[in-house]
Amino acid sequence: MLKVSNRKCIRRLSDRSLRAAKTRNLVAVLAIALTTVLFTSLFTIGASINYSFQQQNFRQAGGDMHATFKNLTETQLRELADDPLIEETGTRLFIGMPSSDPPFNKSHVEISYMDMDENEARHYFIEPDEGSLPREGTAEAATDTRVLALLGVEPKVGAQFTIPVGIDENTQQAQYVERTFTLSGWWEYDSAIVASNVILPRSAAEELCALSAGDPQSQTGKWHLDVMFDSDFGIREKAEQVLSNHGYQCDDPTADNYIAIGVNWGYTGAQMDMVADPTTIAALAAMLLLIMFTGYLIIYNVFQISVTGDIRFYGLLKTIGTTPRQLRRIIRRQAFVLSLAGIPLGWVVGFAVGGWLTPVVMAQTSSTSSYVSVSPLIFVGAALFSLLTVRISCHKPGKMAARVSPVEAVRYTDADVHQPKARRGRHIARKGAGARLPHMAWANLGRSRGKTAVTVISLALAVVLLQTTYTFAVGFDMDKYLADKSAVDFIVGDAAYFQTGAGFTSVDENVPENVIADIDAVGGITASGRIYGQVSGVQEFVTEEWYRRSWGRWNTADALDQMVAGQERTADGLLADRAQLYGMEDFPLSRITVLDGDLSALSDPTANAVAAVYTTDDYGDPEAQSHWAKVGDTVHLRYVEEYEYYYQDTGEVIPPDEVDAAFLGERAIGSRAKTYREKAYTVVAAVVVPSSIDYRFYGADQFVMGAEQFQQDTQTDAVMTYVFDVSDDAADRMEAFLADYTEHVQPLFDYESKATYQAEFDGFRSMFLTLGGVLSGIIALIGVLNFVNAVLTGILTRRHEFAVLQAIGMTDRQLQRMLMLEGLYYTGLALAVSLALSVTVGPVIGAGCSSVFWFFTYRFTILPIALLLPVFALLGALIPAVSGRAAARYSVVERLRQE
Amino acid sequence: MDILQTKALKKYYGTGDTQVRALDRVDLSVAQGEFVAIVGTSGSGKSTLLHMLGGLDRPTAGTVTVDGKDIFTLKDEALTIFRRRKIGFVFQAYNLVPVLSVWENIVLPIQLDGSPVDEQFVRQVVQTLGLENRLDSLPSQLSGGQQQRVAIARALATKPAILLADEPTGNLDSKTSQDVLGLMKVTGQKFGQTMVMITHNEEIAQLADRIVRIEDGKIVRS
Repeated sequence: MLKVSNRKCIRRLSDRSLRAAKTRNLVAVLAIALTTVLFTSLFTIGASINYSFQQQNFRQAGGDMHATFKNLTETQLRELADDPLIEETGTRLFIGMPSSDPPFNKSHVEISYMDMDENEARHYFIEPDEGSLPREGTAEAATDTRVLALLGVEPKVGAQFTIPVGIDENTQQAQYVERTFTLSGWWEYDSAIVASNVILPRSAAEELCALSAGDPQSQTGKWHLDVMFDSDFGIREKAEQVLSNHGYQCDDPTADNYIAIGVNWGYTGAQMDMVADPTTIAALAAMLLLIMFTGYLIIYNVFQISVTGDIRFYGLLKTIGTTPRQLRRIIRRQAFVLSLAGIPLGWVVGFAVGGWLTPVVMAQTSSTSSYVSVSPLIFVGAALFSLLTVRISCHKPGKMAARVSPVEAVRYTDADVHQPKARRGRHIARKGAGARLPHMAWANLGRSRGKTAVTVISLALAVVLLQTTYTFAVGFDMDKYLADKSAVDFIVGDAAYFQTGAGFTSVDENVPENVIADIDAVGGITASGRIYGQVSGVQEFVTEEWYRRSWGRWNTADALDQMVAGQERTADGLLADRAQLYGMEDFPLSRITVLDGDLSALSDPTANAVAAVYTTDDYGDPEAQSHWAKVGDTVHLRYVEEYEYYYQDTGEVIPPDEVDAAFLGERAIGSRAKTYREKAYTVVAAVVVPSSIDYRFYGADQFVMGAEQFQQDTQTDAVMTYVFDVSDDAADRMEAFLADYTEHVQPLFDYESKATYQAEFDGFRSMFLTLGGVLSGIIALIGVLNFVNAVLTGILTRRHEFAVLQAIGMTDRQLQRMLMLEGLYYTGLALAVSLALSVTVGPVIGAGCSSVFWFFTYRFTILPIALLLPVFALLGALIPAVSGRAAARYSVVERLRQE
Repeated sequence: MDILQTKALKKYYGTGDTQVRALDRVDLSVAQGEFVAIVGTSGSGKSTLLHMLGGLDRPTAGTVTVDGKDIFTLKDEALTIFRRRKIGFVFQAYNLVPVLSVWENIVLPIQLDGSPVDEQFVRQVVQTLGLENRLDSLPSQLSGGQQQRVAIARALATKPAILLADEPTGNLDSKTSQDVLGLMKVTGQKFGQTMVMITHNEEIAQLADRIVRIEDGKIVRS
């Protein structure tokens, strides 16, 4: 086939006609830019959230290096580090941890030498904020503010601190040696970080490592090589490849050439999070569609209007032999060139908006810190989606230009001739009303129904979004939200208790009496009490049916069968199962909801009374099937001092020191209590524990005991939380005290108060308001731009017609009035459509929201629409009035001459 | 009595060497009920003259008096109102409003004025022009000749002092041109209408009572 080189000519045609349409171009570039703004901010927020999670994972993992080769000799280290697969390395000579006596009993601190420059330090989040990493041959050390705080040392370069360094800690020869260092530099502790580092110079590290007895199990003196590969895909495979390149392997720990590897789970974890959550993906897809639709509405309208205006030009081109395909290419090319201007503009603004909104969104997740991602993927993605939107938007206008018949094009005007004839019939009947301005203006809107519809929808979209945002914001019901949370004024507990996914699990998280004394000393407490948490093994006995029902929710049928088989069974066929106990003093007891029975017996430690804890759904309704025990039932509780484990197949008991290994094996393992005490209790009440003072995780069937009974029977007294009410005038004082106390004096503890919940609620609501507001704001901008474009082009294309109207006697003022009426009809229609949608769809969505957000109450409101009424009236009148002047620039005669 | 009179009417564009004298001291009188054709080649100034007569454009110097009123003493707003009451326009390109029906187009100038429609009179005009069956059609559903007849009806509906027609048959074939012109003349006579028509077509011009010839902005024979 003959290849005709006509591209250049098409390009020239396209570019020349592009230059001729300045107003159109401005609007189109703005439209594309705004669309890109939406995509870019969405992607920035999305990527930043993901990035923040990843960064937190890295901080928890101790760094963002891809993988680690563990426990190396220095020779192995040098050998592996030279591997061509490895792009970057960081090496660490591990010495030990400080003695686990206070102040280091609850924090993980590692003392080591790290071979790196300050650039590599960023991989481990140990870039000094002040000072530098320790210099070789000195007694310097660098660490973070948490370690310094634990030591009680001011973060100041040059400060001296002494630390007990553990040598051979996990061996029989463990010893602690005290060393004093001079602080060479420090960095701010990030709460996401699990392990703090104390970095020593190599000479100091080697001196300490030389103290090791040389037990192969000892960590002291072992080198670790952290590596970065070219990308984070297939990290494990690459690490294994490196090992095999040098004749090592990581499968058989007993072989001589074994080297352990660790893959940074920060990478895999973040990737898993991304893929796993279908709700997030659905929400993201919905947002993308909404943005594409918004962008389509305006970009399509801009091109449709412009092609309609230039239809004679396209007809002419066709007459002289331009093919439909070439015409489409002309339009696509114009759109592409306009995108080149619009997209970068949108990137800049969108990134700024996204960066600003990310912390707002992140504040609502359980994560502690937020980081803004600058991944190039954000911009590539935004550009691709914008281009796709542009491409889809100019498809129809392109087709229209391509389809135009050269003959028709010459006669074509904006008024489409395809109007149904029948509709006109009625006018003759009341011809008196015929050509009055309102009617004419209305008829003008009907000339190009597509354009009108698109403009109206585009405006209405913003209104509906604003309406939705507002409905959401007012629908979040603070009373409902607080109802369950405000059981007590203040709750103080270990920081872990308040963390999502942590909770009270061990005696380490107990609230000591000195903390309670400090709080009591503040004064103003009207009532207070301790809630004791369970730190020992407690069992109850349940029917197999109940056991299967409660555990079946989280286990597969096979796993469940195995669990049933592995549980101890009593003579009467009941299965031993874990139970969870509360011990409550009178004040917390007074704040739990009694469904049935009476709590008074709980305060008497000789009564052997318990209350069975039922759960509620999100709406606060008790679930009758959530506990087996009813008032009057007898519960046998068994306090286990020691468990023993056995192989289910043979019944062979596993020696205690082999249990850990046995669980890693293939064989099914059963457990049973070996030494224990048992006691029978009477269920005196069925209760619900308010969520703010409960365990905050669901473990097993729960019972509440009186505090004395609990201490006496479990022989433990770990305080999970200290809860209290204060007098109104003391609330602010207590809030201020606790904020400072948990921040500076006892940082391991945390608290919640009514004010916390209120702030939490306000934060949640303001996130919705901010996001919804910004989104409706940008979409409103697009809507208004679309409206301006429709009005402006409507005026420009009708210049001639207006001249005629003026020639036959329409005054300027009448013309202005007609244009204003047209504008008002546009905005009026937009409001009407929004109102109709709000009235019909609102309650449906409202009901849906109530079921997702338990503290949401749908309240019908049209306040936003009412508030927008004057704004839209102003817009509708003002824009045509201003644009009308553009048309009036030329004299009637000049415009009459234009054809 | 002259219903229309111009005195020393001048319209100059530009200055110096490039100055164009579109109209140069034109004195013209048209009597009540007269049908005048203004002929000239393109660029002779005939359209400019018509625009001046209709008050669409302001002259460099001179006056136009319609029905005893010096129209350029009026401000724009007042001039427009005067125009829609006293002057009817028929254009070459019909210039009907596409979104309005035939009837609506015809009564548009009256309604713009806010006056009641003299329905009996308009019906007469419509009947004379043979449009009674097309009143609820849209302009796009009519032939060129029909559209021009609607334009004539629109111009006549306000009972103007004069009807100005700018190449009214310029877009029509010769058979239709004759029909439309014939109707225009008959209607004019029937309603005692003064008419000024611009054309470059001598044959068409012959239908008029008087032919005014214009060349280089000056009336050469009258």
